[in-house]
Amino acid sequence: MSDAGMAVVKPEMKSYIWLQTADGSIQQVEEEVAMFCPMICREIIQTGMGSSKNYAISLPQRVNPSILGLILDYCRFHQVPGRSNKERKTFDEKFIRMDTKRLCELTSAADSLQLKPLVDLTSRALARIIEGKTPEEIRETFHLPDDLTEEEKLEPLRNITDDPRIRLLNRLYARKRKELKEREKLKDVEVEEERADDRSVEDLLSFINGADGDSKGCRTSKNKKKNRRRKDQSKDSSSNNSNENQKKESDTLPSACPNDEVSDILAASPSRTSNFQDFDYADIDDDLDPAKMEELDREVEDFARRLNSDWPERMQEILSLGPERRLVSMNVNGSLRRYSGPSYPPLVWTGDNVRMLCPFKNLQQHECFGEDTARVLLLSDAGRIEAVIWCVSHNASYRLLHEDLHPIEKI
Amino acid sequence: MDTELDRISSLPGHVLDQILSVLPIRDAVRTSNLSRKWRYKWSHIPHLVFDTQCISITSEDQTIVKNKLVNIIDHVLLLHNGPIYKFKLSHRDLLGVSDIDRWILHLSRGSTKEFVLEIWKGQRYKLPSCLFSFENLIHLELFNCLLKPPLAFKGFRNLKSLDLQHVTLAQEVFENLISSCALLERLTLMNFDGFTHLKINAPNLQFFDVGGIFDDVSFENTFLLTLVSIGLYVNGINDRNVSRGSSSKLLRFFVNLPHIRRLEIQSYFIKYLAIGKIPSRLPKSCVDLNYISIRINFNDLEENSVAFCLLRSCPNLQEIEMLGRPEEQAAVGPLADFWGDDHWKCLFGQLRLVKIAGISGIGSELDCIKFLLSNSPVLEQMTVKPASSEGGWELVKELLRFRRASIQAEVIYLEP
Repeated sequence: MSDAGMAVVKPEMKSYIWLQTADGSIQQVEEEVAMFCPMICREIIQTGMGSSKNYAISLPQRVNPSILGLILDYCRFHQVPGRSNKERKTFDEKFIRMDTKRLCELTSAADSLQLKPLVDLTSRALARIIEGKTPEEIRETFHLPDDLTEEEKLEPLRNITDDPRIRLLNRLYARKRKELKEREKLKDVEVEEERADDRSVEDLLSFINGADGDSKGCRTSKNKKKNRRRKDQSKDSSSNNSNENQKKESDTLPSACPNDEVSDILAASPSRTSNFQDFDYADIDDDLDPAKMEELDREVEDFARRLNSDWPERMQEILSLGPERRLVSMNVNGSLRRYSGPSYPPLVWTGDNVRMLCPFKNLQQHECFGEDTARVLLLSDAGRIEAVIWCVSHNASYRLLHEDLHPIEKI
Repeated sequence: MDTELDRISSLPGHVLDQILSVLPIRDAVRTSNLSRKWRYKWSHIPHLVFDTQCISITSEDQTIVKNKLVNIIDHVLLLHNGPIYKFKLSHRDLLGVSDIDRWILHLSRGSTKEFVLEIWKGQRYKLPSCLFSFENLIHLELFNCLLKPPLAFKGFRNLKSLDLQHVTLAQEVFENLISSCALLERLTLMNFDGFTHLKINAPNLQFFDVGGIFDDVSFENTFLLTLVSIGLYVNGINDRNVSRGSSSKLLRFFVNLPHIRRLEIQSYFIKYLAIGKIPSRLPKSCVDLNYISIRINFNDLEENSVAFCLLRSCPNLQEIEMLGRPEEQAAVGPLADFWGDDHWKCLFGQLRLVKIAGISGIGSELDCIKFLLSNSPVLEQMTVKPASSEGGWELVKELLRFRRASIQAEVIYLEP
């Protein structure tokens, strides 16, 4: 105990330790309270500092005065030896109730003072906050920047992959999200009409079974779409969006395999944006309602599961249905015949059809989906069908391989 | 402005590891999706726990559940970057599969210190030999496993804590395992087969908790052993020849436990101790013993003799617990006057707390209580809990009469 050289003014029995925080302010603390912190304790013992105001112990930078106050409260309570475990626990539980920002500061400060029990307590509290939340919620709580690219979010546990298909899909997703935001804004526009799908069953089946490709067809369809555009523009924007989407896919699909081809296509795609502008929609900054996004997440997951189990039966069901319910494509009838190769066009299923496949209740309520529902793209490569389902929340993306119907899920 | 508000990402690495380690593995891995800085923070967590709470897979099909579980663990292990100090695998739906072999092999290349493996269903899982090359292992916990180490196995040099439950290993394997882990401090064995002699040669052993079926228990070099809890789950020793003319098990048991502090004699272990000639007291008093708990049939003369011998040899007992075996009371006729005999005087100078439970109010039980009450001058509390409410009132009437050496003593009757 330091007494002789102390410049303590108070004539009490207690001895005090002087502490200085990084901002220069000095305060005095009862010795037994200060000694509870290992770092302060060591300083006192090894260097003899802290006995007077001039020789105040400098605390690490991470400790500011208000946080120091909190820490000293903690020490003051716990350094009393007679307390029961229950008392200590009750104190801890009350003590830890503070906003997240302060909690982080407290953790940091306690760590710099090597006060392990407090670090344990605050770490557990922070973990409890993180547990069970979605990434968006966590980002919001802790003010984390959302700086991962779509790609990275898609494959969060791997390094950025070179797989061109994944890059492709990522771009599709990004664009699709944009589209859906658009739709949200224009949701009071008329509902899209269902268009009849005049393709014969054989066509559909041949498409599924993977006949030879014909890339010419793509380009033609693009032109066709352009023509249609004028007619469609008066209708609701969703059809425009689908058109745009389709065009994009058909263009990029054939080059799914070789790297350079893809990069060509992808490099070329910016030029297409000019076409998009023709469609005349403004950029939107609104985010979709996070609750909705979460629901979408769940729906799509559900959907994926159901598709996985139900696919063969459902397929039969759909194909055996009469003309009342059809699969609809955004293209005009004739053009589809050309999509008989590996570079398949996407089949976009409208609300009714998707609802048939995945009869979950909330689908209708999703404005984002609307009539033109979750985009099930039937892409294929080398004779296999892949269905790609994505939803607005970029965390949920699934690929279904037709043969094994194996959903590839993220962890 | 965001970076100013973001306090958590800049916490020191070991603190973040601590936070992430406390999270269920799923939440921890998901933090990789938060932001650029967080992408690989999870991959350094030193504890990996895969259990039924951390990973919940809802599916009817067992194969799907299993495949998903395997998939998840594979992913996590591959993407993890850094030492794995603690690995726990205890999922309800995981059977003993070759995947576990693969994971153990992966871990054996690192420096795992704690390894917990619990196989909930199916047969005993045979541990791969690479498990026995975990050099840094400090704690090993296995449930429903079969151990067959390779011949070259020289023990876990750093192992301090061993917990084996529902395991199978051969006699020599067991003995070698115990004796070659020189630093072993805690040993837990529950429900084992393949060996019947518990030969414990462990110079650093402090805690010993055993429950199972065995023929013999012997301690060597166990001078640090302070806590022993033994339960023999079979009524009597199979080999009747062992009991006749054999040396006193009771003496043998205590000869190498000079510093024992807590002793729990559970299930039928007292019958084991009753084998051979039962001395009236131990040659060397257990001066350090301050807590004893005995499961006893108050009607059995031999068991009573053992209990009495023990009590006489432990002058510094602070707490005694005696639990009756009510299902056996009817077998032999009540033992008259064993404890009541005035010659049995001994002094429990430190005894403060006594708990008696599972009794039915018969003669020898009451005598024992009377004996304890009249020989404990500093007793503070005795609780008595009968096995059933029959005859409870009679019991209370008797209790009321007993003389107490301690004026502070409270005798509390608890409802059954």
